[in-house]
Amino acid sequence: MEDPIFDRAKKKLRKVERITLVASGKGGVGKSILAASLALTSANRGYRTGLLDLDIHGPSIPNIFGFNDELVAGKEGLIPPVVNGLKLMSLGLMVGGNPVPLKGESKRSALSFLLAMTEWGDLDHLVIDMPPGTGDETLFCLRALRNMDNAGAIVITTPSSLSRSVVARLIGLLREEGMRIYGLVENMAYIKCCGETLRPFGSIDDDFLSRYGLRILASLPIDLSIEERIKKGRFSELPGDFRYQMEKLLDELVGVG
Amino acid sequence: MHEWSLAEAILEAIIPIVKHESAGRVSEVEIVYGEMMELELDILRFALEELSKGTPLEGSRFMFREEKASFRCNSCGYKWDFEQAHDTLPEDLGIREGTSGDRESPIHFIPDLAQALMRCPSCGSRDFEVESGRGLRIYKVVLEG
Ligand SMILES: [Zn+2]
Repeated sequence: MEDPIFDRAKKKLRKVERITLVASGKGGVGKSILAASLALTSANRGYRTGLLDLDIHGPSIPNIFGFNDELVAGKEGLIPPVVNGLKLMSLGLMVGGNPVPLKGESKRSALSFLLAMTEWGDLDHLVIDMPPGTGDETLFCLRALRNMDNAGAIVITTPSSLSRSVVARLIGLLREEGMRIYGLVENMAYIKCCGETLRPFGSIDDDFLSRYGLRILASLPIDLSIEERIKKGRFSELPGDFRYQMEKLLDELVGVG
Repeated sequence: MHEWSLAEAILEAIIPIVKHESAGRVSEVEIVYGEMMELELDILRFALEELSKGTPLEGSRFMFREEKASFRCNSCGYKWDFEQAHDTLPEDLGIREGTSGDRESPIHFIPDLAQALMRCPSCGSRDFEVESGRGLRIYKVVLEG
């Protein structure tokens, strides 16, 4: 018999109008910032939006939004706090500063409970900050979302060749598990300096894109002011260039239907 | 107080089976749950009874069996139980219950967080195994008619 908790988790995901996974081949490429910015832009545009942090070992969504109040539970489970107009959920809200050394079965079960216990209410759009890489957690998420045509993934990478080879593995896994990929987001693509646009890490070449049948949905600048804004608790004021790219990205997603 | 949510999940898992087997009704359900879930059985039973009204599970006998939690340290080999484990939980962490304002442990909602929030009572290591007492499963469903 199917695990009733996992069953419920799937049912909750099926109820959401649109699910966007933000995935990366490895950590440190700006996945959580992208997920948070996209969710914020979606909420600003009037969609009822949730942001779910499934990065167990490095849950950073609460930090990005500077949210560290206590979680509240209702009759049906955990109530996601509303921050900057969007609903947040993360294991980070439950473990404080503790490390999260979950392994194997515990990991899958924790994610299953998190998905099953969160009371999102009616959502138009759920953005999921995926665990980096191709491990247990990623497989679990793909299993939970299997055969749901309301879900698709954005893969974020930097232009450097190492991240391109890890990203190739991730793309392979997503495709094998039947997950639609909307396209790539290239992060740390350029920096504007003295009236010039520099691309310090190079570019993702067209060969790579055509080999995987993917296109670049957005190129994001290296923008040190974002870290600065997070430190000051003002993440929601996205810088101009960044905001423009997020609007464009959201248009692309909505356009896919 | 997520017992209502669990009750719904349990019913949603059983009702399709009843339909699939073309059975009339369910007379008995046995549920095995881990001690770490800290379930309030009265509430769970009440929720199951209320939510099953008008379904093939109405009037069914709900039975519960608790699986005790046990832990074993990978560093020093020490073994301990849930009662002792509670003493190692950080006290500053909690989830506030909306209506009563009581604080509950996050483990009540996500039992596997034990692995993140507890330590070995003997040596303090976080590297330990949860040997039993975690999840919830439907152990037995008796169909009738
Ligand atoms: Zn020990």
